[in-house]
Amino acid sequence: MKSFKGITLILVVLAVSLPFSGMARNLDLPDTVILDKLVNLYQGAEFDHEMHTEIAEDCTLCHHHSVGIPATDEKCARCHNTESVLERVACGDCHAVEPFSAQYLSEKEAETGLYHVDKPGLKAAYHLNCLNCHVEMGGPEGCEDCHERTELGDAFYRSGSYAPKGGGRGSAH
Amino acid sequence: MRSIVKNGYQPVDSPVDRVTKRRWGFMEKLFLGLTPREYLNQALKNPFNWILGVIFAVGFPIIVYRFIFGLGSVTHASNDYPWGLFLGFGLFVMVPLSASGFLLGTTVELFGRKDFKPIERLALLNGLMGYFFAVVYLLVDLGQPWRLPYPMVVAWGTAAVLFLVGWHVAIYLTVQIMEVSESFFEWVHWPMAKKFIKRITIGLTIAGIILSTLHQGALGALFTYAPSKVHPLWYSQEFLWIFFFTSSIFAGLCMVIAVSTVVKKAMPWRCSEEWLSKLDSQTIGLAKGASMALITYFVIKLVGIAHDNEWAYLATGWGQWFVLELAGGVILPLVLLGYGIRNERVGIIRLGAFVAVAGIVLNRLNTALITFNWDLYQEIPHILEATIAVTLFALYIATYRFILYRLPILYAWKPLPVEAREGVTERDHVPGALGQPAAAYRDMTLPD
Amino acid sequence: MEKITRRKFLSVSLAGAAVGALSASGQALGAGNFMGYPEGMGVLVDLTRCIGCRTCEAACNREQHLPEPALPFDDMSVFDEIHHGGQKRRTDENAFTVVNRYDQAQGKPVYRKIQCNHCNEPACLTSCFVNAYTKTREGAVIYNSKVCVGCRNCMVACPFRIPAYAYSSALNPVIRKCIFCYDTRLKYGKPPACVEACPQGVMTFGHKQNILKIGRERIRTNPGRYIDHIYGETEVGGTAWMYLSGVPFEDVNFDVSLQKEPILANAQAFLSQVPMVLAIWPALFLGFHRLSTKGNEDVDENIKSSNREESQS
Repeated sequence: MKSFKGITLILVVLAVSLPFSGMARNLDLPDTVILDKLVNLYQGAEFDHEMHTEIAEDCTLCHHHSVGIPATDEKCARCHNTESVLERVACGDCHAVEPFSAQYLSEKEAETGLYHVDKPGLKAAYHLNCLNCHVEMGGPEGCEDCHERTELGDAFYRSGSYAPKGGGRGSAH
Repeated sequence: MRSIVKNGYQPVDSPVDRVTKRRWGFMEKLFLGLTPREYLNQALKNPFNWILGVIFAVGFPIIVYRFIFGLGSVTHASNDYPWGLFLGFGLFVMVPLSASGFLLGTTVELFGRKDFKPIERLALLNGLMGYFFAVVYLLVDLGQPWRLPYPMVVAWGTAAVLFLVGWHVAIYLTVQIMEVSESFFEWVHWPMAKKFIKRITIGLTIAGIILSTLHQGALGALFTYAPSKVHPLWYSQEFLWIFFFTSSIFAGLCMVIAVSTVVKKAMPWRCSEEWLSKLDSQTIGLAKGASMALITYFVIKLVGIAHDNEWAYLATGWGQWFVLELAGGVILPLVLLGYGIRNERVGIIRLGAFVAVAGIVLNRLNTALITFNWDLYQEIPHILEATIAVTLFALYIATYRFILYRLPILYAWKPLPVEAREGVTERDHVPGALGQPAAAYRDMTLPD
Repeated sequence: MEKITRRKFLSVSLAGAAVGALSASGQALGAGNFMGYPEGMGVLVDLTRCIGCRTCEAACNREQHLPEPALPFDDMSVFDEIHHGGQKRRTDENAFTVVNRYDQAQGKPVYRKIQCNHCNEPACLTSCFVNAYTKTREGAVIYNSKVCVGCRNCMVACPFRIPAYAYSSALNPVIRKCIFCYDTRLKYGKPPACVEACPQGVMTFGHKQNILKIGRERIRTNPGRYIDHIYGETEVGGTAWMYLSGVPFEDVNFDVSLQKEPILANAQAFLSQVPMVLAIWPALFLGFHRLSTKGNEDVDENIKSSNREESQS
């Protein structure tokens, strides 16, 4: 009899603690996320998710209001106070790869009830969200601190092996 | 020339050589009745020609260089200062100084003031020379001068002030060429053509004053495109075109006085007795007109400052420069002219006229170059740019002089005496104007 | 005699009218009323987001096939360059957009991207006498190099000092400026290269009316972050590229004293006089002529004297 009560207690504790699984560093959370949706001028970024969850304490700092935790940002909290975990948790689930394509813009304009009209694209979302915090907290700020530049990137920036060999036609006097 | 004149040379001033009683040929008229060698001799002896020679020797290669290597090779290639001396001086200064054409044309033909007739032709020529060389300066300044006809026939930007300027200058140049051609037709003896011009003189003159009012003003209106760039004391959104038009009046009149003074001193042999004798009274008359325009201009400049409430600017450095321009370029000539008119001192009037011309030069350079981008930085034109500007001005003087030496502008073309109308031609073998045979030349069959 | 005078008067008036028809400009709208075509696009440039990475410069260089620069685009020493007259970098024949750094007395430096602002009623377009500029329906102010004569009036007129001239070319010097990537992107509904390339989302692209609303909302929902003004909303009649800033605009070298009316309005004051002068001057001066020459006697003096000469020659 005693063992049944014990197992039930454990099960109950487990069930109750599930919503807080993130904080308990459950295996559901990814340790590392490869951000490579926008690979072109730079390689993908290897994002240490585990380390950030330790530093951040509050998931909503990055995930706004999508992980079922009440948002601390009052702007989000206005509407998203009792949200459960959304299906869309990753950045790229809400932030578009091409936020300025004609199709995306016309879709956005068609949805007259849309609140999030000033949503940055995915590339901007990454940089704005990450860098703002890094600058504040003393994290990596340089481009190549997070992702290496590709060959295309070197050519694009006319840098590295593509640097102008003395006497490129820059600005006039 | 003076030494030749002392030796009894009489410049060509009629269709017929007084000595030989034959008609002058075209080439003879071109060489002023001298043989080519005599002409070359007197040219080489003239020190002014040495100065011109040096300027051309240095300047023309630089002009060629500009066309081979582009504008960037002779200017600072500034994107902040797109307009330099070619337009700042060649267009904006020379055009108001050439306003004499429509002013004297209107005075003599429209208002019937025949007492200004003797100087009318010089004023018309002054106008033509200035506008013609403004176009020459423009051709040097334009990035693609071969496209100059584009606003005429290829693409029309009708809302642009420059469109108006371009069309007007083109039409007005035609008008002026026709007005000056009257003396040309006298000189080459094409009476039918001359009669045609005389018939349409009133029409030409009215066209001239319409066109001139508008494009003198339009040059001012061009700067209303850059309200933030021209210093407020020189800028007026409503009145800048009126400032430019009003100042062009005394600019043109004073330029005529100035040129006539230079002509009187430099080529008295070319001026007829009648022309010289009437010059002083006409100078006083022109000065009266100029002084009215000067005082009007001064008043409207003050109105402009009051209108935009810019009095506080006068206390700044730029303000002092502005006061200097007004004091030296408007008030001083006004005083000089006034004194000269009152006391019939033509010399003082002439001095005042030169000062007024300098004042116009200063005002236009201030508006176009010096106070332009006043809150940015100052730009000194490139030395090659300045050299080209000087060279073209020297060319202007040389062309001016070339025409004045020949056409009946400073003298009246005497009508044919009775005998010469009986068909005697130049093919008869006769000695030259100095009484010396120039057989080799005379015996040549001249083209018709 | 009377006939000649009347004929002369008519011919002069007709000539005047002809020139007037050529040179007067008819406008349906008064200046300052055109806020862009309804389908016109715009860009909101948020200077609080710019970190001066110069990716936009690199993107423009590639998209517009501009020549190799003097320094790589990731070289930040360009921000220390001092040009003629103590100026920072500006657009020129090989750079349609540049970023400059403005150190502030307090806090981080502010970076500012300069490019053509694609005004609603552009001064360059207004001042061009061969109609080389066009404001397209998509909002771009583009340029036709095939008719350009090289008068550089547009450079004088642009209050933002954007158009640059290819002075280095002797045979085909033309104006060089940002064209909103019209030929390669805007025409097809795509955002310009710089907007797409920017990692920080400094530039927000969309219909001009919408991005204006976005700008206002950003100011409203981020109190204290932005100066309460969208630069370009009203300046010189409004522009398609507009700016938000966290520091006063004059501290980032914006001209804050620009007029509200488009530059076109300044020239209008004079241009409206043109048809009046053309219409009034002929009668006015012919009238002066009649009044001052005592009727018909001297009118034909020119004819009389030329007749005299004809009989002599």
